[in-house]
Amino acid sequence: MSLLRQQGPAAAVPPSPSVEKVAGTYAAGRKTGRRTAGLSARTRHKAMGLLLVTPFGLLFAAFLVAPLAYAFWLSLRTSTLVGGDHFSWFANYKQTFTDPHFLSGVRRVVVFGLVQIPVMLGLALLGALIIDEVTSRLAKVFRMTLFMPYAVPAVIGALMWGFLYSPTFGPVNSLTDALGLGKVDLLGHSLMLTSLGNIVTWQWTGYNMIVLYAALQGLPREVYEAAKLDGAGQLQTALRIKVPMISSAIVLTLMFTIIGTLQFFTEPRVLEPTASSVITPDYTPNLYAYNLAFQYSEFNYSAAISFSLGAVVFIGSYLFLFATRKRSGLK
Amino acid sequence: MSSNRRPKLRSVRRTAVAATSATLAGVLLAACGGGSDSGSGAASKGPVHIKVWAWYPQFKQVVAEFNKTHKDVQVDWVQAGVGQDEYTKLKTALKAGQGAPDVVMLEFQELPTIQLSKGLLDMGKYGANADKDKYVDWAWKQVSDGDHVYAIPVDGGPMAMMYRADLFKKYKLKVPTTWAEFKEEAAKLHKADPKAYMTDFGSDETAAGWRQGLMWQAGSRPYTYAASKLPDIGVKLNDAGAKKVYDYWGDLVKNKLVDTQSYATTDFYNGLSSGKYATYIAAGWGPGYLSSVAKKTAGKWRVAPLPQWTAGGNAQGDWGGSSFAVTTQTKHPKEATQVARELFGTSEAAWKIGIDQAYLFPLSNPILNGSYFRDKKYDFFGGQQINKVFVPAANGIGGFDWSPFQDFAYNTDTSEVGKALQGQTAWSSVNDNVQDQVTSYAAKQGFKVSK
Repeated sequence: MSLLRQQGPAAAVPPSPSVEKVAGTYAAGRKTGRRTAGLSARTRHKAMGLLLVTPFGLLFAAFLVAPLAYAFWLSLRTSTLVGGDHFSWFANYKQTFTDPHFLSGVRRVVVFGLVQIPVMLGLALLGALIIDEVTSRLAKVFRMTLFMPYAVPAVIGALMWGFLYSPTFGPVNSLTDALGLGKVDLLGHSLMLTSLGNIVTWQWTGYNMIVLYAALQGLPREVYEAAKLDGAGQLQTALRIKVPMISSAIVLTLMFTIIGTLQFFTEPRVLEPTASSVITPDYTPNLYAYNLAFQYSEFNYSAAISFSLGAVVFIGSYLFLFATRKRSGLK
Repeated sequence: MSSNRRPKLRSVRRTAVAATSATLAGVLLAACGGGSDSGSGAASKGPVHIKVWAWYPQFKQVVAEFNKTHKDVQVDWVQAGVGQDEYTKLKTALKAGQGAPDVVMLEFQELPTIQLSKGLLDMGKYGANADKDKYVDWAWKQVSDGDHVYAIPVDGGPMAMMYRADLFKKYKLKVPTTWAEFKEEAAKLHKADPKAYMTDFGSDETAAGWRQGLMWQAGSRPYTYAASKLPDIGVKLNDAGAKKVYDYWGDLVKNKLVDTQSYATTDFYNGLSSGKYATYIAAGWGPGYLSSVAKKTAGKWRVAPLPQWTAGGNAQGDWGGSSFAVTTQTKHPKEATQVARELFGTSEAAWKIGIDQAYLFPLSNPILNGSYFRDKKYDFFGGQQINKVFVPAANGIGGFDWSPFQDFAYNTDTSEVGKALQGQTAWSSVNDNVQDQVTSYAAKQGFKVSK
């Protein structure tokens, strides 16, 4: 905007094409009083913009807006196996928030998140601080190794861990057996959530570490020097300088992780066949929505569950951002 | 070294790319085919193509046999997943209004569910009632409702006990004929070898049919249902027979006389071949399954009748078994019905493939009673004529209704069994809890439930 204002007068006197090019059609047209030509240029400009946006717009409408609208419409109707289907306003939503299956799933992922998220992000932050400080070849190897699980597709990762947890083939059980501790049922009721947490931590720690590491790399080096001159040690620099300065990146990773946790699906879905008496169809809200639709053909109620989960995620994210607005720099 | 490896790698990648694009092309072609055959198929002179979903790998030869012997109708076979995976796809296609095959393989317990969603064509209108006498009576009742025929039976799952003759000999065990004896022998075996179990109690969803089959044997008849009597349904999942089964197995589990591994796991397959399990209580299709997952134990297994609740009894149960149904999305109801009826039907050539290679248990009378099937010796079972056990078992199965919300019922049962395994609830309350949840679900779905 300010650029246009500066160049405006120059374009005003001789309306030569070269100047017009420099100043931009919009400004040049207006200053020379070529109203009609200017307007058409303006519309052309607009039309071009629309044209460029169209491919995205069409895909966005076809694959996001339309399905969402359809799902929302579905969620406002009730269909039963015998009664047929009718419009029921928000009856499905009312049922959702009193449905013990949905609520127990939400409770489960919240408990899961309360333990798993701090552990994972703590490890990611520690890793990021270490590779930011140490600049040897080993740090590069360390960075790559930690990041690698993220490159493994989630389904394959979960399948692989399913084998590692196996009571017959799994190395964990061979180890505890050899030590005379007996078998540990990693896929049993008491340890399943821990086992799942381990898979997620394995998969996502490296990713979060890279995000935090990138933020650390962006910090001005002079600050460290100043801290050093003021007599701060490495630990103090890390805790008092680096961590507060990347707090917005930490909030970002935390936010993504919370959303991911509430939508927990892939890992329990993959382990479901191996332990279907543990991972019940309502194990997580997303799994419940999936099973409702594709096993029980309750597409309407499933849509309502999905939107309710979306609402929980939205409200949760908003509250979280509001609570951390100072740290995240969003104010 | 590296110069040797590089071209190889590249060729692997090229093959992968080729394979991927071939698959994609196949998908696209299939998608196009689905749309276009509606218009041109009926009008043009060529044979009508009927798309069939079925999951036995050996089905390829059965289809080849059908296509060889039929001129006007040709079958296009698609493997759309085993059991639940296929049903998920089918239900989605039915909901979407397109994409379902003409003919689909369904297990008996799934028929009422798909039928209720208006997904199954009444083949009675296309002459299928003529097949009534060709099939075992109980099987025909599974697929029909009066003159309405919703599927054609293929194979059944009469239950029996497969056991490791070598282990029984080694530990001097007696082949149990009653469940009481089964428990005694289980205790004896586990005492002799703490790492071995008499069998594995299937606690997962894939074993829900197994548990239901055992209840069937114990006299449980949980549902009273017919599509023609909607919205009435009788649900009694906590009857005496059902309770007897969970009391018995709960006791074995608590005393650690049986294992509780999920049936759909490699650990379970491994247990069958490593000698961890001395018996496998299974169905008519079990020999095929067992001989593929426990190849190295060939010759060591034998089959005995299912242990009885009362000595000298003849109560039987069924686990699984499949049928061919025609979906309501077919454009060629007449030809699709013909395919469902004749793919196996009474064709000896098709059944020879079914029996020899897929180990199917035929429900077609002439095949079932024919000497080829009855007298066949199985090498995997040390040359035993195992059908001398399975055929009488199949004859004692009797009538049994399923619910049109069988997946919900099975999942609820699995969840409650899981809680009991964990000690959260008592085994004696499992059936009552399942009954409560299933009846309230049914009522919410608009059924008039009588308990």
